[in-house]
Amino acid sequence: MNELDSIIHQPARLQIMSALCQLGGSARVDFTYLKDSLGLTDGNLGAHLSTLETSGYIGVEKEFVARRPKTFVAVTPAGRKAFANHVAALQAILVPK
Amino acid sequence: MNISPDEAASALQEIDASRAAMRRAIQTHRGHLYLWLWGGIWIATSVLNWMYETGALRAMLWIDGAGMLATVVIGTVQGRQIRSRIDRRFLGVCAVLLVFGYCIWPLLLGDLHSYDFRSYRGAYGYFTVLWMQLYMVAGIWFDNFWFWVGLGVTVLIVATLLLAPALFWAVTLLLGFVLLGSGFYIRYCWR
Repeated sequence: MNELDSIIHQPARLQIMSALCQLGGSARVDFTYLKDSLGLTDGNLGAHLSTLETSGYIGVEKEFVARRPKTFVAVTPAGRKAFANHVAALQAILVPK
Repeated sequence: MNISPDEAASALQEIDASRAAMRRAIQTHRGHLYLWLWGGIWIATSVLNWMYETGALRAMLWIDGAGMLATVVIGTVQGRQIRSRIDRRFLGVCAVLLVFGYCIWPLLLGDLHSYDFRSYRGAYGYFTVLWMQLYMVAGIWFDNFWFWVGLGVTVLIVATLLLAPALFWAVTLLLGFVLLGSGFYIRYCWR
């Protein structure tokens, strides 16, 4: 049986993970674009990304685009699996087997 | 960790809301801009070819060049928001297809570049189908709708060339509208 994941369950991180899991396999999203899409602040998003990265659920890559530093974020296979398990656990609470 | 059914329901609602927000964002990156751009270009070049045949060649090359430039600009701007890792193997396959299509096959199979009235439509069809080959490869590679766009256009172009050459420019014009319409479908209706 799937169990709830306390790291993912925090509301902002739940938002971040569900957004990132919508992206295709190899796609990465820009930090600012993600922040605007989810309506989070820089600091808030940065802190939660750091927690998710430490857990191995997302990967954060920094690179230069047109000489400006850009941060790209992508969900890892482990993160995708953990999120799917978390959603299954939430659904199981609503419809117990 | 234990939560109540109400909390679980609210968490699932939050998940749906942020999925929807991201889906809306992704919808602006699905390739409809390319379909609009190349649909427009296709319509313009078809009209020019229909009116002037070989006389439209120079204008057509300029329009195609501008289209390629616009494609690079769109790719660069969108790549700053959501980007996929560059697939070098896919680019390699495209390069091989283009080198063969533009250099090797014309050299071996005859002079596709002699733009007399009769072979001009064939040459136009040939290069169109060559690019559609790339659409189909991209569709197979990335498992998306590009395959069907490429297949549909290829079938129509070849069938018209072989069965109804007099309708050739009318069909290419129609295909331009199909590309344009596909762009609107993908942008506003595809889920």
